[in-house]
Amino acid sequence: MTRQQILGWTQRNGLFFALAILIAIFSILSSRFLTVPNFTVILLQNAVIGLIVVPGAMLILCGLVDLSVGSVAVLSAVVFGQAMASGLGLPVSLLIGLAVGAAWGAFNGYLIAIQGFSPIIITLGGLAGARGLAEFVTQGYTTYGYGREFAFLGNGKLLGVPVPVILFAIVFLIGLHLWYRAPLGRHMIAVGGAKDTAAEIGIKVKLIPFWLYVASGLAAALGGLIIASQLDGAAVTIGTGMELEVLTAILLGGVSFTGGRGSLFGVLFGLLFVGVLSNGLVQVNVSPYFEQVAIGAALCGAAALDMFYQRLERLNVPVESEPIEAPQAGEAQ
Amino acid sequence: MSAPILELRALSKSFGPVHAVKTVSLAAHAGEVIGLIGDNGAGKSTLTRMIAGAIRPDQGDIIVNGQKEHFETAQDARRAGIETVFQTLALVPGLDIVENIFLGRELLVPGATGRATRTMDVAAMRRRVEEGYQRFGLNLPDMRTKVAALSGGQRQVVAIARAVLWGSGVVVLDEPTAALGVKQTELVLSFIERLRSHKVAVIFISHNMQHVMRVADRVCVLRLGRKVHDGPMSKLSGTDLVALMTGATIAAQ
Ligand SMILES: Nc1ncnc2c1ncn2[C@@H]1O[C@H](COP(=O)(O)OP(=O)(O)OP(=O)(O)O)[C@@H](O)[C@H]1O
Ligand SMILES: [Mg+2]
Repeated sequence: MTRQQILGWTQRNGLFFALAILIAIFSILSSRFLTVPNFTVILLQNAVIGLIVVPGAMLILCGLVDLSVGSVAVLSAVVFGQAMASGLGLPVSLLIGLAVGAAWGAFNGYLIAIQGFSPIIITLGGLAGARGLAEFVTQGYTTYGYGREFAFLGNGKLLGVPVPVILFAIVFLIGLHLWYRAPLGRHMIAVGGAKDTAAEIGIKVKLIPFWLYVASGLAAALGGLIIASQLDGAAVTIGTGMELEVLTAILLGGVSFTGGRGSLFGVLFGLLFVGVLSNGLVQVNVSPYFEQVAIGAALCGAAALDMFYQRLERLNVPVESEPIEAPQAGEAQ
Repeated sequence: MSAPILELRALSKSFGPVHAVKTVSLAAHAGEVIGLIGDNGAGKSTLTRMIAGAIRPDQGDIIVNGQKEHFETAQDARRAGIETVFQTLALVPGLDIVENIFLGRELLVPGATGRATRTMDVAAMRRRVEEGYQRFGLNLPDMRTKVAALSGGQRQVVAIARAVLWGSGVVVLDEPTAALGVKQTELVLSFIERLRSHKVAVIFISHNMQHVMRVADRVCVLRLGRKVHDGPMSKLSGTDLVALMTGATIAAQ
């Protein structure tokens, strides 16, 4: 039992220690690393991905995936920019931008969760389609200059904490509640791990993923708007490669890509691990090319460790031995 | 004898030309274990699925506690107090025992805020399972153990215990011991025996005559969709049961 407890404990906290060791190493190598301003920067750099990671991880837990987030982010930002340019005003334009994300999420959710289309194909279509649509909307003309109020979304601070970080914290706390304290967490594990059983028991195996896609689209839109605010322009480059960053944090955080297993705390550590690694490597003047290699290596390492733990878990299954009917050979002389 | 908890009146079901179940009537009383036996294709599973609400009978009535019921879904049957444990068990391996027992009917913290925020009352759920462990003398690992880590027999027990903890008066078990070894089978059979003293009616389907003879009070035999025997277990031997199932006349003693 103790061995199993130790095993479970290291499995649950392994990434936390990897993160702690990473922080320790960078702190020794660079005096600027372990400072409040630098950690604020790390959080700010990862807040947008963090927002999208929360519903993203829930989708993966359900055995689904949303690859369209980066493109939905840019489409929302671009549509917002057009709305601003046509004089609709900030509140209406913001709502339109968010609505674009929610609508795209509902489109994904309808096709995948209700109609049963492949999540990879549909959201891969969204990855290409939404970005293409964004480029069509701009017609090569990037809107910019949305005023000081909008700039607050990406650059403002409340009590010294950047607004995007606050938004990320709110989304993450809501996510924690849903994951661990509300029935939804168990229902998602059931949907991802044993869908037929979940349906038989009466769990909403279609509606849960549908609303998660809507949430993912909404989070992507919010992320796109935050970046547009930081750039003060709705550039068509917003959100490029975002889906991979989101997936990296989730999978590094130990959520099983086949669904049914994972922790949101693990995902937070996965997100921070990537953030700390990127920031730290810059601080110690390692070539930025190496950053990608390091993240890739970390992902492969996490996958290998996961396999290792699963093997050990299987060995630890307490199956009672069946009584053996054969007589002891030693005594039969 | 008191009024039956579950009564089937002349249930029939056909699949195209196949009469899977033909005018079968059956009454189950509290604290009674009924062994339902029959050869392959005799109609046992079809009968079970009608009781479980998985399929609808062509003809006949299902009466629960004197009330005529029309089950549209498995949830309807469950709500009426009839739980069917199929071979698949309907357990989620990635969740622990408590989570499985309360899956889909989690208890929320009482009050308006609990309901509004959908906050689960985790402590209350554990307490209820703890009580169940004691009341039924459940021989299971810690209730926080993931179902993935349980043996086949333990999973059976969890699936049955879930039904009983939810207050089902009738538990239908379709071949619960089919895939189990000796020790695992013992775990399940002894639990079924214990249910008798808790006023649960059990319908137990099995191809293993020894298991049926061990736990059943009454035995009901189906052959080609018809009920051909219904009577107390005590008067029958294993040979008699086989003869009834296959249609051979009982050898005159
Ligand atoms: N969904 C279905 N469609 C068509 N025929 C069916 C269906 N379900 C059952 N049957 C037929 O109904 C008859 C009774 O089947 P049932 O599964 O109830 O038997 P059983 O007594 O449970 O057998 P076993 O001991 O093999 O489990 C069989 O002839 C079977 O082929
Ligand atoms: Mg059958």
